[in-house]
Amino acid sequence: MSALTTAAPGAPVVDLDLADLRRDPYPAYAELRRTAPLAWVPSVGRHLLTRYDDIVHAEKLPEVFSSREEGSLLLRTVGPNMLREDDPQHRRLRAAAEPPTRPRQVRDLWAGAFERTAQELLDRIADRGEADLIHDFAEPLVAANLALVLGLRGASAEDIAAWSRAMMDGNSNYANDPDLWLRAEQATRAIEEAVAETAEAARREPDGSVISSMVNAPEPVTLAEIQNNIKVIIGGGVNEPRDVFGVGAWALLRRPEVLDRVSKDPALWKRVFEETARWVSPIGMYPRQLTQDYEVAGVTLPAGSRVALVIASGNRDESVFERADEFDIDRPHRPHLAFGGGPHFCMGAWVARHEVSAIAWPLVFSRLKGLRLVEGAKASDSGSAASRLEGWVFRGLTSLHVTWQAA
Amino acid sequence: MPTVIFQLPDGTERKVTAASGTVLMQAAVAHAVEGIVAECGGNASCATCHVYVDATQADLVGPPNDVEDEMLDFTAAERRPTSRLSCQVQLSDALDGLVVHVPEEQV
Repeated sequence: MSALTTAAPGAPVVDLDLADLRRDPYPAYAELRRTAPLAWVPSVGRHLLTRYDDIVHAEKLPEVFSSREEGSLLLRTVGPNMLREDDPQHRRLRAAAEPPTRPRQVRDLWAGAFERTAQELLDRIADRGEADLIHDFAEPLVAANLALVLGLRGASAEDIAAWSRAMMDGNSNYANDPDLWLRAEQATRAIEEAVAETAEAARREPDGSVISSMVNAPEPVTLAEIQNNIKVIIGGGVNEPRDVFGVGAWALLRRPEVLDRVSKDPALWKRVFEETARWVSPIGMYPRQLTQDYEVAGVTLPAGSRVALVIASGNRDESVFERADEFDIDRPHRPHLAFGGGPHFCMGAWVARHEVSAIAWPLVFSRLKGLRLVEGAKASDSGSAASRLEGWVFRGLTSLHVTWQAA
Repeated sequence: MPTVIFQLPDGTERKVTAASGTVLMQAAVAHAVEGIVAECGGNASCATCHVYVDATQADLVGPPNDVEDEMLDFTAAERRPTSRLSCQVQLSDALDGLVVHVPEEQV
């Protein structure tokens, strides 16, 4: 089934400016949920599906809403990979890669090293009294953790972060910028080399890492498959935990009474994590392609139609989350969509939960005394000059400037 | 066809009948039983389809498998000796009349 690059008959057409979406997509999503919950958006080249219930329905029907999207930006950036496969092919790759990311492995194998890295990064900045917590802490932390879990011993945190950026820019290159394609391709080659070396070593000596697990999987996985899937994991594995860290820290710094409660009751960090992922989902949307004619939100989509599941919008759906635009760690527990659903449920969920909510936040807020945001006069829930939120396919703070009382 | 009773945290119950061989979680989701979230769709990756098997029937249902056992340490509601992930329980005629309790929280 080849992909249809036009609107389905009867689908409302809504023009959205990508630059507006990058700045703040939430007003546009609210309008879509109200007036056109399935809408063809020409600048995206896809139908945007924006209501919570419709997204959950689609996620639970992978045989209709296929991950095998033709012409996918991710396919172009990294080649065939499990995010753009359906079961059983997806299942084989996922089963090979997943064991090191399961919660007991995270606790027993990785948590100690995650904490040491976080302490070292804080040692480096503690005396300065000021930092950009994205650049100086969160990004190097999650990048080093990712290198460890993947098994890429020869790669520095800087390598991983740079590769990740190059690939994420490719994956979200809906504007088709040739420079971004070039950088993504260079990163791709570098990752392939690093994975080939690691795979060779892991074949001789298994080390519990993701690459080792894939190399030694009961159902064989080829080197090219390992390389492509590691590219995908590097892409998401930096942005997503980094962005949850940044947005959550920023939300708390602007809400001292909540921060005070969480500091006194560390069990609440878990709630902060889930609410942050709901409020500003690091992945805002992902694509699907229909395998058959199917009616959703009152429109019959023909087979081959391209749909974007806008989980960032579902997570702000007022029919599920009251006062959905507010950050509220006490809201009734309703499952958010930030990790996706169905067979593609985020493989890094348990790693991210641990490194962010059990390590990064508690250490930052306990070690850096009197932590404060450096903010301009016009700070709001979409950010300020010193800490700006950006993106719609992927969304997070581009920087988080803070000060504290240096020892 | 086996019938299962889901006891919900608010005290109400939902009776669901499904073909023998159906996975318990799928039976719940197909009938929109509230509280069975099943984010990962049945792959034992998310721990959001947690149930407590009624204590009188725990032996009948049996213990969790290895992968499930690990995930049960990380459920939102406390783990109990009768905890199972409903995506790892397959219904059979022998389980007709099964009673499971849905916990307060899944996330």
